[in-house]
Amino acid sequence: MENNLIIQNLTKQFAGVSSVAISNINLTVKEGQLATLLGPSGCGKSTTLNCIAGLEEPTEGVIRVGDFTMTNTAKGLLLPPEQRQLGMVFQSYALWPHMKVFDNVAFSLKLQKVKGDELKKRVMDSLDLVGLADLADRYPFQLSGGQQQRVALARAVVTRPRLLLLDEPLSNLDAKIREQARVWVRELQQRVGITTVYVTHDQSEAFAMSDMIAVMNKGELLQFAPPEEMYSHPATQFVAEFIGATSFLKGVIASMDGSRLTVRVANGDILKLTDRSSKSWNVNQNVTIAIRSERVEMAGAQRDGNILNAGVKSSTYLGSKWQHVVDTGSGSLKVETVDTAPSERMSLYLPPDSILLFPEEK
Amino acid sequence: MTSAPLTKPRFSWDRVVQWSMVVLTITLVVFPAWPIVYQSFLAKPLYDQGRNFTFSNYTKMLANEKFWHILGYTAAFAIAATILALAIGILLAVLINRTDLPLRKFYFNLVTIPYYVSPLVLAFAWMEMYGPQGFGTILVRALKLPTWQLYSFWGIVVVSAMYYIPNTFLYATSSLALADPQLESAARIGGATPFQTILRVTVPLLRPAILYSALLTLVSALELLSIPLVLGNGVGIDTLSTYIYVLGVVGVSKDYGAIAVVAIFVVLLVTVLVYLQGKLTTLERRFVTLGGKATRPKLLELGKMKGVVSFIVGLYILLGIILPLASIVLESFVPFLSPFANPLKMLTFENYQGIFSSPAYRQSVTNSIYISIFAAGIGILFMALVSLTAYRSTFKGRGVVKYMALYPRAFPGIIVGIGFLWAFLLVPGIGSLRNTLIAMSIAFIMRYLPLGFSAVSPAIMQISDELDRAGRVGGATWLGTIRHILLPILRPALLSGYIILAISFLKEYAVALFLFSEGSRVIGTTMIELWKQGGAEPVAALSTIQMAITAFLIFGSTRLLGVKLHGK
Ligand SMILES: Nc1ncnc2c1ncn2[C@@H]1O[C@H](COP(=O)(O)OP(=O)(O)OP(=O)(O)O)[C@@H](O)[C@H]1O
Ligand SMILES: [Mg+2]
Repeated sequence: MENNLIIQNLTKQFAGVSSVAISNINLTVKEGQLATLLGPSGCGKSTTLNCIAGLEEPTEGVIRVGDFTMTNTAKGLLLPPEQRQLGMVFQSYALWPHMKVFDNVAFSLKLQKVKGDELKKRVMDSLDLVGLADLADRYPFQLSGGQQQRVALARAVVTRPRLLLLDEPLSNLDAKIREQARVWVRELQQRVGITTVYVTHDQSEAFAMSDMIAVMNKGELLQFAPPEEMYSHPATQFVAEFIGATSFLKGVIASMDGSRLTVRVANGDILKLTDRSSKSWNVNQNVTIAIRSERVEMAGAQRDGNILNAGVKSSTYLGSKWQHVVDTGSGSLKVETVDTAPSERMSLYLPPDSILLFPEEK
Repeated sequence: MTSAPLTKPRFSWDRVVQWSMVVLTITLVVFPAWPIVYQSFLAKPLYDQGRNFTFSNYTKMLANEKFWHILGYTAAFAIAATILALAIGILLAVLINRTDLPLRKFYFNLVTIPYYVSPLVLAFAWMEMYGPQGFGTILVRALKLPTWQLYSFWGIVVVSAMYYIPNTFLYATSSLALADPQLESAARIGGATPFQTILRVTVPLLRPAILYSALLTLVSALELLSIPLVLGNGVGIDTLSTYIYVLGVVGVSKDYGAIAVVAIFVVLLVTVLVYLQGKLTTLERRFVTLGGKATRPKLLELGKMKGVVSFIVGLYILLGIILPLASIVLESFVPFLSPFANPLKMLTFENYQGIFSSPAYRQSVTNSIYISIFAAGIGILFMALVSLTAYRSTFKGRGVVKYMALYPRAFPGIIVGIGFLWAFLLVPGIGSLRNTLIAMSIAFIMRYLPLGFSAVSPAIMQISDELDRAGRVGGATWLGTIRHILLPILRPALLSGYIILAISFLKEYAVALFLFSEGSRVIGTTMIELWKQGGAEPVAALSTIQMAITAFLIFGSTRLLGVKLHGK
């Protein structure tokens, strides 16, 4: 039996609040994988994580790891957090200030009556894993933010828990250390092989670390997919917008031939595209098309249509590249170039495979 | 879907303890309250046979002119004492905390002395010094200067204000510490003199603090028993509290119905004030200008006035606090105190021997010590658990707890005593506890539940709840988290809460007045007994003992244990 994390119909409504914090979330995280909950502030990421941890009582839903059911509201089952055998890392690290690093890590083991040499060995092994074995005798306030974060991680995995839960564990670190921390959190997770749920609102963090990404908005799960698929086939306009610098143009479907469609944008230009979503479309339907800035190309000689002429409105230097906002006459697009904009006007090519199609949002 | 067998949650004591805290808190408040309500509708004492329900207690009291007169007198006294305590307390707070007043650090501690002294002791001390036969009065009279009458409305007002000044002073001090000193600097740069700055900026900034501590003092003054009793009893002055005392303890025919009605009246009155005060605390958050903490406030210069102002403050401390307390200490070591006989030639331990040779009196001292040590210890742990249930659990009833734990503020001490006495008489099976220190301790804990609760809960709220969440996920139960994580972090707060509670228990007399009996005397009740017998010197000895124990507690805890008693 695989020990996947299975979440079914998870809903949480806080007492005295009319709207639900999360509604009807369904997810399966495969054993040993790292899934990220990604979404804007207040979308319900922490609430979902706390429900998994047992720190929050869901209004409805089932949460289990393989055969081990932790929450089943229909059967009135709600295991308290301490009986779930999980590990968790908090945004503030939550290291207990009155205990040394060693005792922080040893806490859960001592509760499990692990003693003597065995205790010492397991605590030191865990601290070794995060490279902090020589700081075991310090108090938390004697550590840097990055070190505290690693102690918190060592503390969370020392009992070999069923799941590792992380709630924005890197958000209190400096930008530079944060990027390093991503790498070794991911390495540690893979080395230990622990099923992990990771909460963040930083999309680049999510892409860098995850096996699967769950994008949430306003308490709903919009899409659950591996990073590459999320990137190339965002399920909704919100997802497309949230995970990358994407431009949107409004238009109308002009013709259809299987999955090959043409869309007429505001100033009459026709764009060809290939739709790979399984949605059904009608001719004359109002739609929104989306394209990422890095996918827009400068038009060469040989292309067969899909050319838009645009005037440059503004240019920003981003270090490795330039980003321009251009006006196509049908709306604004974001475009990237290696050098500064060649002229006041540019001719753009939108590859049919890179254009995404969404029904127009009300 | 697989239907694997469900793991049942293991039993844990968490819920049991949370339930107990809720039930205990509610019981503690309701237990002494209901017999009073019950008695107010009974024609005869509540433990008599044949219980006839009646409204006559109410109608009689409302038609009683004396009652209305006393009510008016009490209100006038409480308001006057409050205004005086506020005016002096705030003035001292501004002078000592915000100006370059010479000796300000030294004055700070002296000004707060009455905070640690029982009002009963303060009343005796002022009587010794400024009463008709007082040392100071006789001296002034001998110099052919005009004297005063301490046993009067204004005498009672002044002594009560002396007792409340540390409260208003400390409250204003902590508000000043929160206020942004840049606001004062801005006024100075804008062209205001130091005095204009104090008047136009500093004091107006204190407005919420002033209102809040005004209500606090008013509530306390309305129920104050000792000072009006000691100073007003001989000249026929009565307040609501002394009236209840006289009806129940001194009176020949004890009118229980009347006592109950007056008690209910006082509780309702105070409830309204406490409610207003609760509203104010939420209002106050909007007022306080946070953020000035990092920059040390620049002190306002008093200039040429400096010396004079410092002298006046010193004189106030000397005449108002030091001399009266010193005279009572001195009196405890002499057969009698008089300006015409050199006390140093008559030094004696007789007064102390008198107290320690009487088993009953000796016991009152040891009882007080036991209560201070043990009841306060159990009390602070109980209050911490109540507070943790209220602020750190997912228990459904925790909202009720927050409210209930603060409600005893509406019960004057003397009424708490009456309530417990009657409840112990009425509830079958627990009557045997009535004369014990256990009953006394329970009543004390109930009375000081709000104090302990509000001493501990801010400290609890300052701890990030991620710390306990980490404990829970790490495998500890709620109780385990409290034991291993919260209590160790809370230790300093609990320790200072314990000391404050112990000092309060040592000072307390009003709760004990009705409740005490052979075997459960405390220092306060014995002092009043001795005072009624006219023994000024034994009273002085007991007062000195009480002050000495308090001083021991304060110095021991602050010097040896590093306890901070008020956020200095
Ligand atoms: N204890 C609570 N009582 C009432 N509402 C709550 C409570 N906790 C969270 N909420 C609400 O539930 C929603 C989801 O909150 P949650 O903390 O899960 O968001 P989040 O995605 O973690 O956001 P962030 O990125 O800011 O941490 C929010 O609208 C929040 O206001
Ligand atoms: Mg969150």
